[in-house]
Order: sequence, then structure tokens, then C-alpha cells
Amino acid sequence: MKKTHIAGILIIAVAIGAIISTIQDSSTYASFAQARENPSIEFHVIGELNKEKGMDYNPEINPNVFSFYAFDKEGEECKVIFNGTKPQDFERSEQLVMLGSVKDEVFVCSKILMKCPSKYNDGQEEVIITANTTEADS
Amino acid sequence: MDYIGEQLIPGMFGNFFLALSFSATILATTAYYFSAKDSDDGSWRKIGRTAFRIHSLSVLGIFAVLFYMLLNHLFEYHYVWQHSNTEMPMRYILSCFWEGQEGSFMLWSFWNMVLGNILIKTAKDWEGSTMTVVSSVQVFLSSMLLGLVIFEYKLGSNPFILLREHPDMVNMPFTRIADYVDKIDGRGLNPILQNYWMIIHPPTLFLGFSSVMIPFAYAIAGFWKKRFNDWQKPALPWAFFGVMILGTGVLMGGAWAYEALSFGGFWAWDPVENASLVPWITLVASAHVILISKNTGKSVKTAFILTTVTFVLILYSTFLTRSGILGDTSVHAFTDLGMSGQLLIYLIFYCVLTLAIFATRWKYVSGDKKEDSINSREFWMFIGALVLLISAFQIIFSTSIPVINKVFGSNLAPPADPIMHYNSWQIPFAIIVGFLIGLGQFLKYKNSDISKFWKKIRVSLLIAAIFSATIAILTSNTNYHYVLLFFAATFAVVANANYFLRIMKGKISKGGSSIAHIGFGLILLGALVSTSMSKVISQNSSGIDVKVLGSDFSNHDNIMLFKNDTLQMGDYYVSYSNKRKEGVNIYFDIDYYSKSETGQLIKAFTLNPLVQLNKTMGNVAEPDTRHFLTQDIYTHITYADLSQIEAPATGKSGYMEPKEKMLAIGDTMFSSNAIIILHQLNTSLDKAEHELTDNDIIVGAQLHILKMNGDIITATPLYIIRDMMVESIADSIPDLGLKFLFTKIDPESGQIKISLFEKQDNKRDFVVMKAIIFPFINILWTGCIFLIFGSILAIRQRIKTS
Repeated sequence: MKKTHIAGILIIAVAIGAIISTIQDSSTYASFAQARENPSIEFHVIGELNKEKGMDYNPEINPNVFSFYAFDKEGEECKVIFNGTKPQDFERSEQLVMLGSVKDEVFVCSKILMKCPSKYNDGQEEVIITANTTEADS
Repeated sequence: MDYIGEQLIPGMFGNFFLALSFSATILATTAYYFSAKDSDDGSWRKIGRTAFRIHSLSVLGIFAVLFYMLLNHLFEYHYVWQHSNTEMPMRYILSCFWEGQEGSFMLWSFWNMVLGNILIKTAKDWEGSTMTVVSSVQVFLSSMLLGLVIFEYKLGSNPFILLREHPDMVNMPFTRIADYVDKIDGRGLNPILQNYWMIIHPPTLFLGFSSVMIPFAYAIAGFWKKRFNDWQKPALPWAFFGVMILGTGVLMGGAWAYEALSFGGFWAWDPVENASLVPWITLVASAHVILISKNTGKSVKTAFILTTVTFVLILYSTFLTRSGILGDTSVHAFTDLGMSGQLLIYLIFYCVLTLAIFATRWKYVSGDKKEDSINSREFWMFIGALVLLISAFQIIFSTSIPVINKVFGSNLAPPADPIMHYNSWQIPFAIIVGFLIGLGQFLKYKNSDISKFWKKIRVSLLIAAIFSATIAILTSNTNYHYVLLFFAATFAVVANANYFLRIMKGKISKGGSSIAHIGFGLILLGALVSTSMSKVISQNSSGIDVKVLGSDFSNHDNIMLFKNDTLQMGDYYVSYSNKRKEGVNIYFDIDYYSKSETGQLIKAFTLNPLVQLNKTMGNVAEPDTRHFLTQDIYTHITYADLSQIEAPATGKSGYMEPKEKMLAIGDTMFSSNAIIILHQLNTSLDKAEHELTDNDIIVGAQLHILKMNGDIITATPLYIIRDMMVESIADSIPDLGLKFLFTKIDPESGQIKISLFEKQDNKRDFVVMKAIIFPFINILWTGCIFLIFGSILAIRQRIKTS
């Protein structure tokens, strides 16, 4: 066998390993209900903040705990405890991607990816606000 | 209606240049294509050149027009309105320029145009064939800016569209105001992009993208014109130029993340970061295989494949970051501008072109008859290139999860712990690459004398081994991945330094590759040490124990600092002394003190992390970092109460609404500045003092008030029954702004009711912050400088010899 063949086989083996590990390490997008059924697994839950209910952040007691209520895509509400500070402009968030698992009926989450209207990009909503202010000024 | 005050002429110029640049580059592509045929007598080439010149001038024209618009705040143009405003400092005008997709496409086509002109001057008999490729790339890029609607399909996104004509703005109220131009301000530049790195990072990165195009053009030209063994020589300096510039661009992105973003570090394996790292890795592989191919005449096909794959990966990365497909996985991807179809066509076109050329030509390429010797330099360089390729594959595959979901309809989310996931693969690859970098220089092409080889490298191996073992023992590091990587990286540095000093005799002009490799070794070393040994020093050490809450969270990471309180963090004592508003920024003064031998606190330095107020896009916090030779101290405000700044409080003297709680002995309640514990009930108080008779009752609630610094003071509010009437006598602690009232006794449960009053100005100002020490991160930046410097030397040498 030629050396190039050996190298080729090795490469394919490593590539397959990489693919398998990606699939194994990958998490799943789920709803709160699915997360509740499998409390030992970490899920990505996509949802939004319940702006009616309050948020709780008491840095004087513990700056690393922030709790709020969120709806998942199915509309189910769940209490969420985030191990971290209250993110800037959390109230304005449009969509939340929360990574964590359910413990005692509470979604305990270690990472939040927050989408604000036009934080990075163009949001229709923001355009209207600006245009209206303009008119009010005139 | 007639609008007043709009400047329409710049837009007309802009659109004229857009159309001209697009048509001129189509002509250039066609003309150069025919000029590459053997039958051309030079007339086609002349047309091609002229067309490309016209194209170049129009690209400059487009640039000038947009710049003029931004500079003069012509908010009647959507792009200007969307990406800038009058408040923003003018030095960030360039960041506005390339914040949007259109601007960044312009930047890309600008560099392609510049490199194309250099190619016209230097390519000689390669001009026709390579410029065909370059001009065709420009056709695609120019089309991204057209904004033409053809058969209901929008081709590109026009940067010169008027605000009132933009599809999002149709029938907006402002469009009914004739002089709206005088009344609007732009939406402004995203605050996180208002950073000096954002002025220079995009141009560098796009120059890197553009420079990948040149070796690609040579590879395609070489196979097209069946000059299989000729294209490597002129492509080589460009490939290394690309390695240098793209690498710098990627690292600048890391530097920006480190300086201005809040994730605490310079690399987070974010999909957008990965998308530009991956082509760099394959470019490094490609450059090395082109080198082998040039020197030995072998590996022609591999060189072609790697070079074209790199170019296609650039296009794929562009697709990933601009099609909106990464929306759920990355924080800084662009959203879809409706160009994903066009981007996909761009990508597929060059895939098909490459495959077609390869398929029709591969039988003409003479295969490598003799296998490389295992003792040869080319064999190990080849292995290194393959390791890089597979490393790139692993990253791009994991990054492509959203694409996989789209294609296969699956529902995979990115790894829960991406850093772990990528590190577990990339560290072993980095170890192999580190060793190969160390070994490579000492091997000779074709065949090397193995005993001589060992003799030459054993000193370096020994030095690296002793050094890494010592460090591992001193830091008691038992992670063998880290230790091995440390060893490999140290070996790469030492071996190349050894080669440069002993074999090259320290001759700078010839030491380019050694210096660049030392740089790469240092980058590995710096990245490893600063990330694996980084330490969060802001552990919550305030007097209040959060375990009371029964929470299973860590107390780590963030710490709350009241104004003027001092807390210990690592070796420092940290105090938050002030905040001030300057323009849109609120700066916080965080003072770091160190303790002298006599136990006194001496101010060491002050950091000014800031929060930028931005109504439109949300407030953004920016860290501040103190750089020392051996470590960096990073400080970031993670939470701050900005209500006082936005709406100043009035009437601070009174007490706020009381907080009431039923307490049994030993129970606690919290004020904003202390913990209150009901210590005991005192029934043996002196009744005479309060003019009470023997039938009256007096009870004192002895409260222990635990201050933040651990001191305990007592307060004793009284509960009195005088002549069958209940009376409460308050006790207050002026220092803490607290007042207690004992209002009720519940004989059944044995609990008493305490009302806690707090002074309004007790809502003391505070910040929640995070502080991290990154040790020896300067090794990484030093490595970058070596890598750049070494690459420049190597490129210069290649140009000289060719």
C-alpha cells in the first residue's frame, strides 16, 4: 500500500470521527415540555420573555442570579433562572435562545442569546419609531 | 409631491458608476477571455485592459460618492440614514461605510480591483487568463450592488437608494413631509462597532479575502492553459501574502472582541469567527503545497485542489455570514438582505467552474511517479497540509449545523459547550502542527540524512521538554492536552529560533519562514496560556452569603460593588468610586489597590469600563483592560443601575415605604446594605425609664445588624403596652439610614413583626462587574508581529527569486 493511501484512509477516519462528534455534541432545539421530560439533558429553548410578569434581579443578594418568565414557541410559560447578571436591555428582547435544563419545574439556564430589534440589524419596528419621533418633532 | 432639500445629484452619480462598473467588468471578462486564446494578437487584451481600467475608475467613483454622502450626512439616502447619524464621532465614518452589507461588498470589490491592477502590471503572459477570472469575480461583486429588479427578482442591494423609496419606508408618515430632510437624523452606527479596531479590521480582512483570489486565478489559469507546472511560481508570493493579511485580519477581529466585546476573551468559536478562520487554515495548507509543488514539481493536483477549495470556502463563509442562516447561532451575523440566492449562485458558479476545469484537465497532469521519501521535507509538509485541511473540515462542519438543518430538515442545535467541542479536536491538531513546524525546517527536500537530522533537532527538543516540564510542575497542570500543546508550541519556537540563528546565521533577509514559524508557535503558546490560565477574580466575597437562598448556582463571575466600598479580588482590593457621563458614554471609575508590606492600601490604577447609552439599538457595555507585561486585567460592567442618570431622583431625605416581616428568633431580613438578624427578645427592660407602671409591658427586639464589612451593631426597637394601649418606640441607625419598628407580637407562633424603614438615599449606587486576569496574553500579540514580519520577509524573498 502506498503512503498516500494510508494518509487518505486516516483522513477519512478522522473526518468521520469529526462528523460523529459534532452530531453527538450537538444539542437540540426543544420546548419547555420536552426539557421537563428529560431533566438530565441540556436543551436550546427558543422563546420570548413574558413582559407581563416581573423579572427578579437582586444584585445585593446575589449578582449571579436573574429570574424571569418566558414562553416557548408552543406558548407554554416557564420560570427561568439564569446564572448570571441581568442582560442589558433584557426588557426589549424580541427572542431568546436559552440553553439549559429543567430542575424542579424551573428552567435553569446557563446561556442566553438575546435578539433585540435592530440590535445588529434592520428591524422594521425601529424604523417606525424613528420616523414617528421625527414627525412629532416637526 | 416635491421634496425640499434633497441632494439627488450624488445618487445619480452613484448609480451611474454602479452601472458602469458592472458593464465594464462584463466587457473586461469577455475581452480577457478571448485574449487568453492563442490566436489573440494583443487587441483583445487591449480592450480587456481598457475595460478593467474603466471598471476600476467606477469602483473608485462609487466609493467616493458613498463617502461624500456619509461625510455630509445626506440622510435622504437609506444607507447613510441606516448606518450613521450626526451624534457619532466622525472618526468612525469608515466603520459606517462598511457596517452594512453593501458597503462591505464595495470594500471587497475595491481590493479586488486594486489587486487586479497589480496583476495587469505583473502577470505578463498570464494576464489574459488570470484577469478573466478576476474580472468575472468582479461581475458577481458588482451585481451585488445593482439593486435592479429583473422579472420580479431583485438583483443586489443598491447603496444609493433614497430613504423614502426604500421598500421598508413606503407610506411612512415622514414621506408626506416636504422638508423631511431637515428634520431627520440617522439611526446611527451600532455602538459595538464604534471602536478603532472596527476601522481597520474589515479592510484588512477583505484584503485577505481578495488576496485569496489571485492564487485561485493562477490555479485556474494554469489548468486552463495546461501550464500545470508554471502557475505555482507566480501564485506563491500571493498565497503567502494572503496568509499574512487574512491571518492579521482574523486576529484583529479577535483583538476587537477582546477590547470591546463582553464575552471575556479573544476567541469564542463563534460561527462568524470560524467562517473567516477556516479559509485561512486551508490557505496556509494551500500555500505550503504550492511551495512543495514549485520546488519538486509534484503534488500539482493537491495544490490546485487546496487553492480552489480556499477560494470556494471564502465564498461559502460569505454565504454563511450574509444569508441570515446563522441567525440563531451567532450574535454577529448579518440578516438576509434577500441576496442569499445570488450568493448561492456565486458560490455554485465557482464550484462548477473549478470542477469542470479539473475534470477536463486532470488526465493531462502527470501523476507523481515516485513516492515521497519519509525522510523528505515535502512528505511532512504534505502531512501538515492534510492535518490543516482536516482541522478546517472539523470547524466548518460544526459551524454548518444550521445549513445541515436546512438541507436535511434536522433539528440540531450547536454544541452546548462550543469551546469544549472545538478544543477537543483542535488542540490535538495544533499539537501535530506545532511539532511539524519545528521539524520541517531541518528536513531537506527529496531526502535527508536522518542521523544528522536528529543531531540538529535534539537540543531544541530537550530545551522544549525541560521548559514545558518545569512549567507544568510549577503550575501543577495535569491536563495532558495542554501540556503536550505547550511542549509542541515551545518546540516550534525553539527549533525555528535555533534554525534561524545557527543555520541561517541570523541573516534576516533569508529568515522569513523561520521568523513566521516562530510567530505561529508564539500565537499557539499565547492563546494556550492566556486562556487556560485565565482567572476570574471577581468572586462574590461580599458579606452576604447567597447559600441562604438555597440556590445551586455559583457565586462566581460577577461581583456587586457598592459605591466607595472596597472588596478583595485576587491580589487586589477594588473600589467603585465614581461614575460620570460624557456624551453618550457613562464611564465608571473602578480603582484597583494593592496592599503594601505595612498593610496599607495603595492605589495601583483605575479602569474605566463604560456603558454606552443608545436608545435605538440598546445600551452596550464596553470593558476596559489594564495591560501589564505579564498579564492583563480585564474589567467589565455586567449590570449597572442607570435609572438615576436617565431620570435623576428627587427628594432623597425621607424614608421609603417600610418592608414588613414576621420574624422568629434567629430569622433574618435584608436591607439594601445589611443583614438583620433577630437575636433575642428582651423582657427585662427598665420600666421606670419609660414611665411605665408594673402592669404595663415592655419588650425589646434585639436586632443584630450585620454590615457589609462584617461589623455587627445592635438596634432595639421597643414594643410597649401602656394602659392597655399598644405603642412602638423606633430605634434607628443613622449611619446606615435604617429605622426599625416593632409593631406586633404573635403569641401563638412566637413571631414578631418588624417594620424596616430605609432612607431614600440608601439606595446606594452600585455596579455589578466581572474581572478576569489573562496571563501572558502579550505572547500572542508578539507572535502576531513575528508572523507578519516573517511573512513580509518571505514574500520579498519569493518575489526576488521569481
